[in-house]
Amino acid sequence: MFRRVKAEEEHRLVHLDRDRALVEAALRDPAAFDALYRKYLAQVYSYAYYELGSHHDAEDAAERTFLLALGALSRFEERARPVDGEGASTFRVWLFRIARNVVANIQRGRRRHPVAPLDYAAIVADPLDLEGDVSRRQEAGAAWAAVGRLPPERRRALVLRFVEEMSTAEIAGVLGRSEGAVRVLIHRGLRAVARDLGGRRW
Amino acid sequence: MTLEADRGEPEVEALRVDRYLESILVARERGAVAVLHDPRLDAELRATAERLSSHLVRVHPSFRFEERLARRLADAGDALRLPAAAGAGLRIPQPPVATRTGAFDPVDLLDPVRLIDDDDPFGIRARPLLIGGALTSAAISLAGAALVAWRLSRPVHPMVRAIRAAHGRAGHQGGLA
Repeated sequence: MFRRVKAEEEHRLVHLDRDRALVEAALRDPAAFDALYRKYLAQVYSYAYYELGSHHDAEDAAERTFLLALGALSRFEERARPVDGEGASTFRVWLFRIARNVVANIQRGRRRHPVAPLDYAAIVADPLDLEGDVSRRQEAGAAWAAVGRLPPERRRALVLRFVEEMSTAEIAGVLGRSEGAVRVLIHRGLRAVARDLGGRRW
Repeated sequence: MTLEADRGEPEVEALRVDRYLESILVARERGAVAVLHDPRLDAELRATAERLSSHLVRVHPSFRFEERLARRLADAGDALRLPAAAGAGLRIPQPPVATRTGAFDPVDLLDPVRLIDDDDPFGIRARPLLIGGALTSAAISLAGAALVAWRLSRPVHPMVRAIRAAHGRAGHQGGLA
């Protein structure tokens, strides 16, 4: 449930979570969870896909994440205070923290049973694009590969920023770091990608 | 720029990048093209941000998968509508869910507050799950019920029965002493 720290903060908390109405509807009737699922499926799936590099594993992660979220919805708390910034604690952040744990669990299994590395160029290829904009695909493939070579936390921060379009406060909530630390992660990640792409002359 | 004056150069640059990226997000939300133009922002960083912004696309799952999972969630949702009294405060054992990728402990994954340390991301320990009210995962409830049913129905080996009886006697005697 949403915890109200102070009465005067109530309005602010409502503002913090754009999904509050959907969450409350799902708490009253689990069938209403479908709206949250439809809204966030692609985001959770994308996050898992960038982390795991396999559609099969991304489906697995998305399925586990949403089933767990549905079962634990009554334990969702909006913990942010106004000083934490807009979006610091929302259903989306909570959902992504579950996804992050699920993905990490799958990665642990992979370390026991290693799989082939992700072929970024193949992923970007659009099967409907028969003409094939080769140079654009190569650029996209290079960008994906450069991000894939980053240390995990920098990669996650960039994916949450560019793919999921999260604010710094939201990323901080997902990764469990301060906003300042997230800014530094993103800055260093961008710098490393710039060096990588520059050096490879894409 | 008092905020920037108090910070070191890398931190200031990180802040500039952050503002620039924020402006990209805001522009996208509004369907606008114009983004913040800060001449102090490193040109290489800006170009890289623009490239990632256009190339790191969101990946959608297949429609078939989406509908299959929607049905599964709907089934789980139906099970959650059971009367609160049926499962209120019930503590059920959590059998591990076997997966392709190894052991999976749903209980720890339910705790989004528990952060994963990159050096030891899997310090996962089993613990019982308190199911409160009607809002409980159907999968978990069914798995728990199945485990209990299995444990109750499975035949007990005569040797196990003998050991239990011996333990029971020892406990009883100890209690008397």
